[in-house]
Amino acid sequence: MKNQIVKLFIFTQKINRQHIQIALALLALGLFVLGAGAPADGGGVLPH
Amino acid sequence: MILLVAILAGLVVGLFLTRLQKRPWTVPPLRKPWLVIIAFLPQFFNLYLPATRTRVADKFASAGLIVSLILLLFFCWFNRRLSGMWLLALGLAMNLLIIAANGGFMPISPQTVSRIVSPEILATLGNGDRFGYKDILLLPEQTRLIWLSDYFLPPEGFPYQVAFSLGDVFIAAGAFWLMVTQGKALDAKNNSKG
Repeated sequence: MKNQIVKLFIFTQKINRQHIQIALALLALGLFVLGAGAPADGGGVLPH
Repeated sequence: MILLVAILAGLVVGLFLTRLQKRPWTVPPLRKPWLVIIAFLPQFFNLYLPATRTRVADKFASAGLIVSLILLLFFCWFNRRLSGMWLLALGLAMNLLIIAANGGFMPISPQTVSRIVSPEILATLGNGDRFGYKDILLLPEQTRLIWLSDYFLPPEGFPYQVAFSLGDVFIAAGAFWLMVTQGKALDAKNNSKG
């Protein structure tokens, strides 16, 4: 248990500001194309 | 989901090119990325999230979609200097235009829908019914700016059948280009080399 906590601590220390910026930018781009685009595929009949 | 493939493809090609050039790939330096998250929220609750989408009236869902697209246009403006952003903005503006011109949803014709769902499912749909997340079933003669609607399809026999608009094509191209170039103009890259 203690070992796992130490590992988690080391892992969180490796996450730096740049990693967060990359994740945020990729998330923003993904949401942008989902939000701006409007394709319709076969799974498209949904309850409204 | 098909548009996410454009981002992934751009990422793969971008990583490949930067590896060839022996330099690190960096994510496009987007300004105000939080604006996209805020802009997406109305769509998330009104169109995507099953628990809430069924409770929202079409009128509010369509208004939310238009507000969301306008906010995304602001995001494009803040990032207008990034390579590929104009393609994204053009595609977004095309989709916004047709959605606004047709009551707040993306029109799709019964003929197009017949290619992507079974005849049994099509028989349950009527003119003016919502289809998918953002579409509305409309006859071609009732559709304004039909050439901007979900009018295009991959070739028959293609394993993944999806209807898409001209705006979607520009959005996919813009996302791909943005990822490949990392948002830097190619001429700027050349200038920095010299």
